[in-house]
Amino acid sequence: MDETPLLQIDNLHASVEDRAILKGVNLKVRPGTVHAIMGPNGSGKSTLAQVLAGRDTYAVTDGTIRFGGKDLLDMAPEERAREGLFLAFQYPVEIPGVNNAYLLKAALNAQHASNGREQVDAFEFMQIIKNKMELMKISKEFLNRSVNTGFSGGEKKRNEILQMLVLEPRLAVLDETDSGLDVDALKVVATGINTLRHPERAAVLVTHYERLLELVVPDYVHVLSEGRIVKSGDQQLARALDERGYDWVREGAAGP
Amino acid sequence: MNAAELSAAFDSSLDRLAGSDASLSARRQAMAAFARRGFPTRRDEDWKYTDLKPIVTGRFDPLPTTPGEDDGRSALDRLSGLEIVPGAPRMVFLDGRRLANGESTALPRGVRILDQRTTWQRIRSIQTEGQFRDYPLTAVNTAFSPDCTLIRVEANVEVRQPLHLIYLGGAAANSAAHARILIDLGPNSRLCVIQHFAAREGAGWTNSVTQATQEAGSHLTLYRLQEHAEEHLHTELLDVRLARDAGARLGYVDLGGHLVRNDLRVQLAEAGASCDISGVFLAARGQHVDNHSRIDHIAPHTTSDEAFRGIVGERGRGVFNGKVVVHAGAQGTDARQSSDNLLLSEHGEVDTKPELEIYTDDVKCAHGATVGELDAQQLFYLRSRGMDEETARGLLIFAFANSLLHRIEVPELRKRVVSAVAGHLPDHEHWGGLL
Repeated sequence: MDETPLLQIDNLHASVEDRAILKGVNLKVRPGTVHAIMGPNGSGKSTLAQVLAGRDTYAVTDGTIRFGGKDLLDMAPEERAREGLFLAFQYPVEIPGVNNAYLLKAALNAQHASNGREQVDAFEFMQIIKNKMELMKISKEFLNRSVNTGFSGGEKKRNEILQMLVLEPRLAVLDETDSGLDVDALKVVATGINTLRHPERAAVLVTHYERLLELVVPDYVHVLSEGRIVKSGDQQLARALDERGYDWVREGAAGP
Repeated sequence: MNAAELSAAFDSSLDRLAGSDASLSARRQAMAAFARRGFPTRRDEDWKYTDLKPIVTGRFDPLPTTPGEDDGRSALDRLSGLEIVPGAPRMVFLDGRRLANGESTALPRGVRILDQRTTWQRIRSIQTEGQFRDYPLTAVNTAFSPDCTLIRVEANVEVRQPLHLIYLGGAAANSAAHARILIDLGPNSRLCVIQHFAAREGAGWTNSVTQATQEAGSHLTLYRLQEHAEEHLHTELLDVRLARDAGARLGYVDLGGHLVRNDLRVQLAEAGASCDISGVFLAARGQHVDNHSRIDHIAPHTTSDEAFRGIVGERGRGVFNGKVVVHAGAQGTDARQSSDNLLLSEHGEVDTKPELEIYTDDVKCAHGATVGELDAQQLFYLRSRGMDEETARGLLIFAFANSLLHRIEVPELRKRVVSAVAGHLPDHEHWGGLL
């Protein structure tokens, strides 16, 4: 296994409207690994995901993030995407008037242009997405619908995973992709995530619940509390959190 | 040319405006009404946001010289690139006058153009002092219109291909084009019209009046595409009256022009009549676009749905004034109206004013107006998928318009309008290929 981290976060501080949310996050993600970040509401999980993707409503006040050896904080959101970072949104955005096929194809071709690869045409595009749509149980009509507009919660999440499968990111950050899903939809989403597991790729699953982690087994589990990672472990930690809640890790970070 | 100068020009042009007695009396009546009324000013409530000064002070020739054969032919040469639906019947107007050799094909069966005498008799019989008070520019149109075209669709005739009306301008310098069309739809007939304003050279003023009279059960689809040169001035009235169970679908697209004022009046005169109106306009670089509508729900169980979307950029100005009047006795009315605007520059302005007057119970009315910038979350979402900021902005602006443009049911027209709208937006070369 390649020991160089794909993502290295050091002492990350971030705030929104002068309110500090992340207060010194450290995290190393190596290729081939899946990390779960758990934590109570308001601990800063979604902020971390959004900061990684480059949302400008969050100000990074201290610390560094390196992605594939480059300074991530120096890159615009689109550059991060083209470098292979993908954020599956907790609340996928509705965009009336832009259909799914346009967006998927534009995203793929932006990545190809940046990597010096040829643009895909309509035919190649269909070849690429056909199986992935079947895997995500998404019907063909969906391609002509406006992005996320009028989609159910489950459809929105499956659409995020479809985009991820098409873009094949080096690092996927999934922000509570499991929340609000019924068991069947959760299985579909988990299958999508597992499909992408690869020695050269990594994933960070931000989640509130343990049940996704039974289907996508993480290599590492971290607990984020009040803007810091207060405890790290493996799947056993996630199970303990599921049984005992978060209070025991918050109080002094002593072991179980 | 102010009102007094117009009156004088009318008196001295009377011999050139020759026609039937009906024509003469209709014109005189209109001119007299206009002389009393004068050009609207911003003191008129209906003209609060639109100043006609460029028209009043402009030296427009109200009755441009009849184009000769040669001019007519060169006008036809200028039609290149204006075809929308191949093989569709077509009428061409040059500075407001219909060109005899403009028809590309014979009119479809069941559609005919009535003679001038009948046409002017009709105009005279429907015009009123009240109409000229509300729409003074219609009086100017009546007085100076070089000829009027009354198109009649016989009962039960469903015309399959759209009828393409092309309005060219600028054969004469600084011309005023007072084009006049009347459309009669017989019972249970159907017609689709593409009204295409394309005065693409020189400064000029188009002052168009279109009146549609729909008999019971008839259906009119009218797409109105305005692609004038950017210095052109455009005023118009579209006046539609619907009888029992008649339906109208009206689609506006305004891309060109310097000063544009579109008046629309819809009278849902009998039970079951309905109309669906949508409009998209772009205003930048000093362009002023004003969509001003009045919809009268006169009879029970009538419905109207009106949606306008404006994209206002640098020094552009968009105005929307939409009045819906639900008359006493029009119970069961369903009226929806919206005006949404994207304001892309701090040097742009949007004035939007929906008005509802309801004189009966048991009605459903909804209206709303928004003025905003691009949505930051949508922008971030697209960028997070690898799209650069400029491209994402352009695509979102386009999407804002596109969600109304997809209502256009003629595929060739939809395609043309979509690419024309895209062509007017910044950075379309980056995402235009996606369309």
